[in-house]
Amino acid sequence: MEKVLQWFRCRPKWRVTVLVAGSLVFLVGLMLLPLMYLFAVSLAERARYGTIRWHFSLQNYLQAFHPLYLEIYWRSFWIALTTTMLCAVLGYVVAYTIALRVSGGWKSVLLMLVVIPFWTSYLIRTYAWMLIFRAQGVLNNALLWLGVIHQPLQLLYTTPAVFVGLVYAQLPFMILPLYAVLQKLDPALLEAAQDLGASRWKTFFRVTLPLSSQGLAAGSALVFISAAGAFITPDLLGGARSMMVGNVIEDQFAVARNQPFGSAVAFLLTFVVLGILLASLRSTQRGARELL
Amino acid sequence: MRAGRSSPGLSLASALVYLFLYAPIAVLVIFSFNQSRLTARWRGFTLLWYTTLWRDHRIFHSLMNSLVVATATTLICVVLGTMAALAWTAVGGKWRSAGEAVIYLPLIIPEIVIAVALVIFFSFIHLELGLTSLILAHVAFCISYVIVVTGARLASSDRSHVEAAMDLGADEWRAFFRVTLPLAAPAILSGALLVFTASFDDYLISSFVAGVGSTTLPLQIYSMLKRGITPEINAVSAAILAATIPLVYIAQRLERGSLSLRRAMASLAGIFAFMAIPVLVRTWPSSPNVPQLNLYVWSDYLSPRLIHGFEQAYHCHINYDYYDSNEALLAKLQAGNVAYDVVTPSDYMVQIMIHQGLLARLDKSKLPNVWAHADPRFLHLPFDPHNDYSVPYAWGTTGLAYRADLVKGKVDSWSVMFNPRYAGHILLLDDMREVFAMALKELGYSLNSTNPAQIRQARDLLLREKPLVKGYNSSNFQQDLAAGDAWIVQAYNGNMTFVMHENPNIRYVIPKEGCTISVDCACIPRNAPHKKLALEFINWFYRPRVAALFINDCGFNTPNLLAPRYVRPWLLRNTAVFPNPASLTRCQFMHSLGRAMLLYDRYWTEIKAD
Repeated sequence: MEKVLQWFRCRPKWRVTVLVAGSLVFLVGLMLLPLMYLFAVSLAERARYGTIRWHFSLQNYLQAFHPLYLEIYWRSFWIALTTTMLCAVLGYVVAYTIALRVSGGWKSVLLMLVVIPFWTSYLIRTYAWMLIFRAQGVLNNALLWLGVIHQPLQLLYTTPAVFVGLVYAQLPFMILPLYAVLQKLDPALLEAAQDLGASRWKTFFRVTLPLSSQGLAAGSALVFISAAGAFITPDLLGGARSMMVGNVIEDQFAVARNQPFGSAVAFLLTFVVLGILLASLRSTQRGARELL
Repeated sequence: MRAGRSSPGLSLASALVYLFLYAPIAVLVIFSFNQSRLTARWRGFTLLWYTTLWRDHRIFHSLMNSLVVATATTLICVVLGTMAALAWTAVGGKWRSAGEAVIYLPLIIPEIVIAVALVIFFSFIHLELGLTSLILAHVAFCISYVIVVTGARLASSDRSHVEAAMDLGADEWRAFFRVTLPLAAPAILSGALLVFTASFDDYLISSFVAGVGSTTLPLQIYSMLKRGITPEINAVSAAILAATIPLVYIAQRLERGSLSLRRAMASLAGIFAFMAIPVLVRTWPSSPNVPQLNLYVWSDYLSPRLIHGFEQAYHCHINYDYYDSNEALLAKLQAGNVAYDVVTPSDYMVQIMIHQGLLARLDKSKLPNVWAHADPRFLHLPFDPHNDYSVPYAWGTTGLAYRADLVKGKVDSWSVMFNPRYAGHILLLDDMREVFAMALKELGYSLNSTNPAQIRQARDLLLREKPLVKGYNSSNFQQDLAAGDAWIVQAYNGNMTFVMHENPNIRYVIPKEGCTISVDCACIPRNAPHKKLALEFINWFYRPRVAALFINDCGFNTPNLLAPRYVRPWLLRNTAVFPNPASLTRCQFMHSLGRAMLLYDRYWTEIKAD
């Protein structure tokens, strides 16, 4: 044992390699290789009955730009974008309150209340909205009882239901990064702005918002990426016209049996997500530089 | 004094957001104690759903699987991830950026993409799907959390402690265990918590890479959700919440450093025991050393009494999973790495599977009950003329179900599906062949049409109908009908049986234009590991009393001539299960479509995507 250790001590490179090897086996063998295989499949062709024929072309990518699918990408994009914006507004309200308006014990209690839903099963949280949105669900019953409506509203299996489900699921991803940056904000700066005569809104837009842009960008990227690739929420809460790109991919693998095409769509989604991530990283860097 | 004056507007807005965050959770918990089964009206307090939950064997089995997978994933991730995080600080140069790209891969690639990549890769390397494949997949997407979280903590910790220890004569090994590890422990623990919850909660990746008998809790909950809302799901949810809250509390305090490591470990062990002990109590009796039989059948094609009956009679253990479409079954069998013993594809799919070489020939001499009791109408059908590969398991029709109290006038035709008066109240099956069959019949064509012009007409009709359609649902449409979320649905007859019995306003008709009659067949996949027991199961299923049990419990009909003797009288009178033979003359079996299938596929995607 001692000898082995001695040997490694003299060869730091080997030691590093051995320590990193385990993780690398998983990350390369079960993440990088499958993704490369997926890429290869996206260039292949669907054989009759849905097996893969190794006949390489860009056909699947061309097919993926058919107007039919463009519409679904567009829908996914604007659903994800709206979700991100709604999360940003709601997230600011909460993060600002926790970071700058309360102190001491309340701070940690309110923060924990944000984190609890984040740790609770995603499926269960989505299911809760199914209970609420049913024709004989909680919301309809309450509205009928209050006399606001006389006929149950059709809420479940609609696109607004998908919005609510997505915002609900993604909100903690926005609140936490926003809180992290607002927490570091010096309240003296805000006081200074107000002392100099800025209105509350002006203070927010000219001081708070620029100083928290990094958290906003991080939160937005997280929310947008998860929402754009959503599968469970549109599947459970959405209706005939809420198909998103995640559902297209799943459908190609599980139902339509066109794995090469499904792979191509999956890769397009990945490229878009990576692009947005890089753009948001760059913008926060630029933002930080401007501040300096 | 904080920045600015106190603003009641902001406080109110925050309170509303918190209400938004907690209202659904409150609803779940409250309604887990509600007596009513279907509606969300309060009908009185009950613990019934918790006792139902306690008796539900499948829930506990899946919870056991989830705990096994999450624990194994956490251990592997923590050990390997911490090792990597320790070494990572020493890596530099071009290797560092390349490594970082790989580490961040699972965190930025959309989950659905990881899921499909893993499932085709596992099929490619012939890794059998089961608990092992689940654990491997979970480690692959969780390990980065540990590397990143622990790595950040290690990077910020002070090297000088370690140097001091070594100056004082500790060897490197000792310095690691006495200094580095305790310093990194809170980070390792919070990384472990993160991995455990991520793995325990995962649905999407698991749904693709799970195999025989490895259904995890989220998969089980999802299938319960898809097949019908029962308050039992509320009870499961409330129980999971009860376990989550202390976990979050510990994680939060660890983060702030206000909890000693020993106390944290002790509380975590306590929570784990709280979860694991009931599971062990409930899953203990089933000894794993008996022979196994793996069934993969349509949703609702088994009942607890059927399973228990066979397990008792043959001293074996049945693992079973459900599917909702023939195509989903085909996908699993084509991947070639699942070990099912009995599957129940429909007629046209039997033909495809025989053609693909996915099915084993049946040893007919082992199936005497079948030849003695099977209804000859369902034998020797064109898709398998000599029953070499398949024997009928269940048969049914795909017709029209509606709420007589909400839909006015006589309903006996598919045309009601195209009536704008019912816009937003119509549900279609999420089944390409059935939806096209409906449209083709409405147009007066064969539902097996391979004529491109006719198929195009059917597509155009369905596209015109699309604005009226509320959704596509093959799994719990009967509940949507019962709850009033839909008024008219395209339905498999057997799904309607029990809701019709409970609510006389629900009707099922075979439309006058005709519809699909289908026979789902018991088949044995070519690579089934327990073929002998599979044959015994099929033969046992043809005992008249067993067949009657199937009809009584599942609500579907089975082609067994003697079964009706033991079927409950109200079921014999139910026109969904035992239709008038004259109406069946309007029905047609589906055939494999050959090359025209590609056209159907393309149009179906267009319709779904529109």
